[in-house]
Order: sequence, then structure tokens, then C-alpha cells
Amino acid sequence: MHNDHLTPQAIANPKAHYGDAKASTRHFITQRVTGLVNVLFLGLLLFVVVRLAGQDRTDMVAVIGNPVIGVPLAVLIAIAAIHMRNGMRDVLEDYLAGAMYRLVMLLNTLFCLIVALAGAGAVLKIVFWG
Amino acid sequence: MSVRARPISPHLQIYRWTITMAMSIFHRATAIANYFGMALLAIWLLAAALGQEPLNAVNFVYGSWFGQLVLFGFTWSLVHHMLGGLRHWVWDFAVMMEPGQREAMAWATIAGSVVFTLLIWTVFVWVG
Repeated sequence: MHNDHLTPQAIANPKAHYGDAKASTRHFITQRVTGLVNVLFLGLLLFVVVRLAGQDRTDMVAVIGNPVIGVPLAVLIAIAAIHMRNGMRDVLEDYLAGAMYRLVMLLNTLFCLIVALAGAGAVLKIVFWG
Repeated sequence: MSVRARPISPHLQIYRWTITMAMSIFHRATAIANYFGMALLAIWLLAAALGQEPLNAVNFVYGSWFGQLVLFGFTWSLVHHMLGGLRHWVWDFAVMMEPGQREAMAWATIAGSVVFTLLIWTVFVWVG
């Protein structure tokens, strides 16, 4: 969560409560869990890229079109996109504030949404329609 | 009376670089690189879904020397960020935080990422 009205006095006071405790804890746990899942993603990504780099469409459909590979790949891309949005939020909160933060955070959400929809969508298209 | 500038809090350039500090910065830098690098994966998959023509174009760009250079860097960035993330998982259990331990883990992150990346490219690209 972002604090537009956070004063130095509030930061200095150890008794002050600021920020959204629940949302921040959820943010932290989401980031750690999706990060661990991303280890699986990198493993599958390595397999797919090594197997298919520079190959023709028929080869890609043969490998990614297999639901055992395609469906987990689509899910893992979506999870990676959640990790991306969550992580970029940390960066943006460190360097931006106010309207600029909200604008760039919106762009962040859009970018991650496009990557997830394009990546997972393309994979699922190959799985179900070749 | 001359007016002196207010003292400001010290920032990066004032500190002697430490390996843990460098790996912290690398973790964020590789995060941002991976963030944009994921678009490369989406473009490749999208091209494959659309047809052979767009896939040829993507394969041409990714297969060029510049494309390969970017993909090599992306590989290292992904591996480094993964190892950095696993390091944070270890720290979340409040272990390996003592002096010496954290430096050892930081050195393992950078050394491991370079070794893994070279291993991946040697086995699967340069030799395979």
C-alpha cells in the first residue's frame, strides 16, 4: 500500500501504525510463494526453450500442444506475471509517490496483464486449437 | 555568518561496496530485466500461435548475434534472480544472517549464477 500522507513524525514514532498490515503481509507471502513456484517455471522454460529454440511451428505445436506441457506452462506464465506485478510494485513504491506512482502502477498492471494474456493465451491456443 | 548546506543522509556513493549490498542491487536489477524479458517469451509464443510467418521473423531476430546476446543475458538474469530469491527464502527462516554466513551466501549467488548460466549455454547451445 502506498502512503501519500506519511509524515516523518509518523515514521519516527515507534507506536505509529501506518501502511496496510493485512495487504502488506499478503503482498509479502504472495511474492515468496509465487517466487518459489517460479523455480518450476524456470525448469519448464528451460526444457521448452532448449527443445524448441529456432524450431518450426509444427515442432512447437507438437511439444507445447501436449496438454501435459502446455497447461502447466500457461499456468506458470500467469503466476510469473503476478510475481512481476507484485515485485515491480516494490520498486515503484521506493521511487515514486502520489499521482505519478498511481499512473506507473497502472502501466505496471497493464504490462503484466498483457504478458500473461499473450503468453498464456498463445500457449492455450496451441494446446486447444493447434 | 556563512550558511552551510544542511547535512543530508548518506547514499550509495558514500559507502564502501560490500558483496551483500551488490547482490541486493543485482537482485532488483535482474528483477527489472526479467520483467521486460518476459515480453520476449510472450512474443515468441504469440508468434508460434499466430503462424509460421511471424515465427520465422521472431526466430530470425532471436537467432541473430544480438538476439543471442540478449538471450544469454536474460538467462543469467533469470538464474541470478532465482538464486537471490532462494537466498531470501533461507533468510526468512532467520538463519544464515551472521557475518561471514551472509557474505558466503552472497558470493554463492553470483558464482552460482555465472556457473549455471555458462553450464546451460555450454551443454544446450554451444555443444548440444
